[in-house]
Amino acid sequence: MKLLQVVFKDALRRKRRVLYTALGVAIGVAAFVAVLTVARAGEDRVYAEIDKYGPNLMVTPAVSDLDLQLGDLRLGTLAIGDNYFAEEKLLEVRRIADDAIREALDIQDEGDIATIAPKLYVDTELQGTSAMVVGIDPEQERLVKTWWIVSEGRYVEQADEAVLGARASASLRLGVGDTLLLGGEQTTVVGVLGETGSNDDYHVFVPLPTVQRLFAREGLVSAADIRALCSACPAVDIADMINEEIPGVRAVAVRQIAETEMNLVNKVNRFMITLAGITLIVGAFGVVNTMISSVHERVRDIGIMKAVGASRRQIVRMFVYEAIGVGVIGGLLGYAAGTLLSYVIGPLIFDDLAVAYELQYLGPALGLAVLVAAVASVYPAFRASQIRVAESLRSL
Amino acid sequence: MLEVRHASKIYGSGPARVAALNDVSLRVEDGDFVAITGPSGSGKSTLLNVIGGLEKLTGGQVILDGRRIDDLSENALVDIRRKKIAYVFQQYHLIPSLTALENVLLPLTFGASNGHAEQRAMELLRRVGLEKRAGHKPSQLSGGEQQRVAIARSLVNGCTLILADEPTGNVDQKTGIEVLQLFEQVNRDGVSIIMVTHSPEIAHRARRIVSLRDGEVVSAG
Ligand SMILES: Nc1ncnc2c1ncn2[C@@H]1O[C@H](COP(=O)(O)OP(=O)(O)O)[C@@H](O)[C@H]1O
Ligand SMILES: [Mg+2]
Repeated sequence: MKLLQVVFKDALRRKRRVLYTALGVAIGVAAFVAVLTVARAGEDRVYAEIDKYGPNLMVTPAVSDLDLQLGDLRLGTLAIGDNYFAEEKLLEVRRIADDAIREALDIQDEGDIATIAPKLYVDTELQGTSAMVVGIDPEQERLVKTWWIVSEGRYVEQADEAVLGARASASLRLGVGDTLLLGGEQTTVVGVLGETGSNDDYHVFVPLPTVQRLFAREGLVSAADIRALCSACPAVDIADMINEEIPGVRAVAVRQIAETEMNLVNKVNRFMITLAGITLIVGAFGVVNTMISSVHERVRDIGIMKAVGASRRQIVRMFVYEAIGVGVIGGLLGYAAGTLLSYVIGPLIFDDLAVAYELQYLGPALGLAVLVAAVASVYPAFRASQIRVAESLRSL
Repeated sequence: MLEVRHASKIYGSGPARVAALNDVSLRVEDGDFVAITGPSGSGKSTLLNVIGGLEKLTGGQVILDGRRIDDLSENALVDIRRKKIAYVFQQYHLIPSLTALENVLLPLTFGASNGHAEQRAMELLRRVGLEKRAGHKPSQLSGGEQQRVAIARSLVNGCTLILADEPTGNVDQKTGIEVLQLFEQVNRDGVSIIMVTHSPEIAHRARRIVSLRDGEVVSAG
């Protein structure tokens, strides 16, 4: 018979007490697992939103070029609606982006890698109301706007075709098959997009060369979205290189924009982790407490064991074994409870957050639980080892 | 051989001061069977406790096989409990979560076990007539049976001295005689026994009787 078996049999007899002790561990662990799971889901959602947004980078004309100055007098930046850069700059943008991605992912492929979707915005009047016509590269645009769905008709294919955002279709009272007079030429509406909740809903999309020609903006674009289709792509580096090497354009990595949002998420997370830490400590004190009372309950047994030859060390070891058992049970319970809890509090903290259980936290949860139980058992184990046989046996 | 020299034990101080043992001397030869009698509170348990190192002496010495054991460290005492001195208590003091066999095995779990532990424990259970109860928990055993398990437990380590504090105090007379017969058998095998008892009948079956009163030896046979 091994010492471990003695502990196990004894624990079986005191199932309720052991479970109670394990709960003390479980509470703190559950708090941690819940917080980390929610935090993880929150972070994932921010990044998912960024991904959903499509591009990793946005290229726009360099607005700073338009700072107005009169002698020494700064007049500020002139915000003008028509603001373009040369389409051929996108070739350089592509070279920089593709090179950077090739290097980052270590690929030799010579073909185009990044998706570059140029856009030309033209504010004009259609059917008697003002409307935004957007010239796009239909194929590239579709690759960036992965969430676009065509709710009626089909997607734009020919130079003289247009596809409308849901709101534009409603306000212009135009549907599939209708024609549209764009810059004096007939353009056929071939499709209507499903609602996206973004500005796209208000736009009229027409192939870029058509818009450039009809509105006399040959060789110009207003902006371009770049999507690298990889999460490891060095978007910030690419943006920096573009800003440095190509005059007249400004590139921003979307992740940089998202960082403000991440900051808030991180602050909330830090707060919750602090709370979880406090819970863990309170739980640990609970464990110390229940373990001390279990020492009291077992004074006689411990005295007997010492009388038949148990050393202090062996008594301590028995408590350590029990602590490990308590830790494992508490860790499993804590992991399960924490995961369940995260499903409840996740949507309360980040509205409508979809939480997914994180199996990767099971190991750390067990480790933390065993650690807490082991630390909490130090003092009770010491007390048990100091029990004096004569007194313990006389007391009963 | 065990020798107690001028042992004294004082509990408390001031008005609460109790001299539980007062200049007690005693010799127990190897293979001896000593009965200790005396009224309640005369210091019998205290004497057994200081012999086994469960309590420290206030004065005097305990010498076992030529070596002082009253001033040993906790670790050295553990060694003595594993090899030389075993206890049998009035309340049996078995571990409730363990079966009879496991209770007998317990000392070997803490001390060095030579591999045939289970066999040896089973053999001892047979010797005390409980081989059929090996798998029973203490709560499923009668008082006499529990005490027999406790005696088997005291023998498993091969100790040479058994200290028994009123081992028959909790069982009826007939069972008490059975327990005594077991001790006699064990004693015949060469194990020294010091047994506290209230029963003159049992005491007279020992080789010697030592009577205590108010912490002093009043007669030694
Ligand atoms: N831990 C203790 N503290 C104070 N007094 C004690 C303690 N243990 C025993 N005594 C006292 O010592 C005396 C002897 O006790 P004990 O050896 O138990 O007697 P016996 O076993 O003969 O009944 C008694 O007066 C008892 O009250
Ligand atoms: Mg007594």
